[in-house]
Amino acid sequence: MSVVQQSNAPNSGSGSGNLYDVLELILDRGLVIDAFVRVSLVGIEILKIDVRVVVASVDTYLRFAEACNRLDLESGRKAPSQLTDLVGEATESGAKGKSKGALTGAVEAFSESFQKGRDESEEEEERPARKSSSSSSRRTARRREE
Amino acid sequence: MGTYVYAITEAGHPLNLDGVHGIGDPAAELRTVRTKDLSAVVSDAPPNLRAKRRDLVAHQGVQDRLMADGAVLPMRFGLVGRDDDQVAAVMEEQRDAYTERLKEIGGRLEYNLKVARDEDDLLREIMTDSDEIRRLNERTRQNPGAHQDRMALGERVAREVQARQERTGSELVARLAAEAERTAVAEPTKTHFLNVSFLVTRERAAALSQAVHEEAARRGDAYAFSLHGPLPPYSFV
Repeated sequence: MSVVQQSNAPNSGSGSGNLYDVLELILDRGLVIDAFVRVSLVGIEILKIDVRVVVASVDTYLRFAEACNRLDLESGRKAPSQLTDLVGEATESGAKGKSKGALTGAVEAFSESFQKGRDESEEEEERPARKSSSSSSRRTARRREE
Repeated sequence: MGTYVYAITEAGHPLNLDGVHGIGDPAAELRTVRTKDLSAVVSDAPPNLRAKRRDLVAHQGVQDRLMADGAVLPMRFGLVGRDDDQVAAVMEEQRDAYTERLKEIGGRLEYNLKVARDEDDLLREIMTDSDEIRRLNERTRQNPGAHQDRMALGERVAREVQARQERTGSELVARLAAEAERTAVAEPTKTHFLNVSFLVTRERAAALSQAVHEEAARRGDAYAFSLHGPLPPYSFV
């Protein structure tokens, strides 16, 4: 089991430790006053990217195919009682890092950029404002309804 | 310059803002705009305001402080009115709506839950369940040039991934929503197939947390749950 619970108790400070995890709440929810101007959030609309569109793209298909090809299916056929250990091993041997491959998209670009801002907190964050040609081709990719 | 708005509260809120700073560099000084029934926490809007990290932290810091002492309507980041008078005018105009919403969220907190699943674990499950996908997998392994098969494999797997993630997400929400008064499911993120916020009373917060821990234990090591809160009710205003 794996639970990370962040409790930014009131008065405990800025709650900045987990800011990234609640970023979309601060930027994309909350009360809006129509008559007011909203600060330009260039690049931040990227948060709203439809993950479904990314999933139904040629790029994603190829990544998934590759991920399946290199998967050691035998370990998955072991008895369930052994599964926990196997998953633990796989994680330690670095499979976890690889496993993030298949769902890459613009959102990742945003998180990396934010991560950078996190390290250099006084630096202005570089927003990945440009929509690359690959992301627009994703948009035209066939949308697959479940 | 304009007036940046952080949050709106009832007029009776103590608005204790000692030691809390506004957005901008140097940090703007916080002040309040009051009408008969409502208060707003505001500051001057710094020139060239953008969503920089320190500004997001400051915006959230004001919410954290205010929610300790009572109900608060958190503004979305980055809203700037013309001046304090315009803020007051909007508060008058929207008085009934804001008062109503403050009542609804009084004594309640938002908790945001994000759940991810190890991708290899999910792919293994998909392959174990589908003869067709296993067959395509073997064929593309042995023949790297089989482009059609590769695409067919990827497409089927992608469809399965999405269907299973949606199903699991719905199951989790159904179980946990029982602890909450309201539930707001948001778009998944790249890493998290489930991104959901719950509005709970202060008394029920511990029960929700426990339910999340139980779910996490039930789902096992391949899942990662992150629960964040208490938060101001961003998703419920």
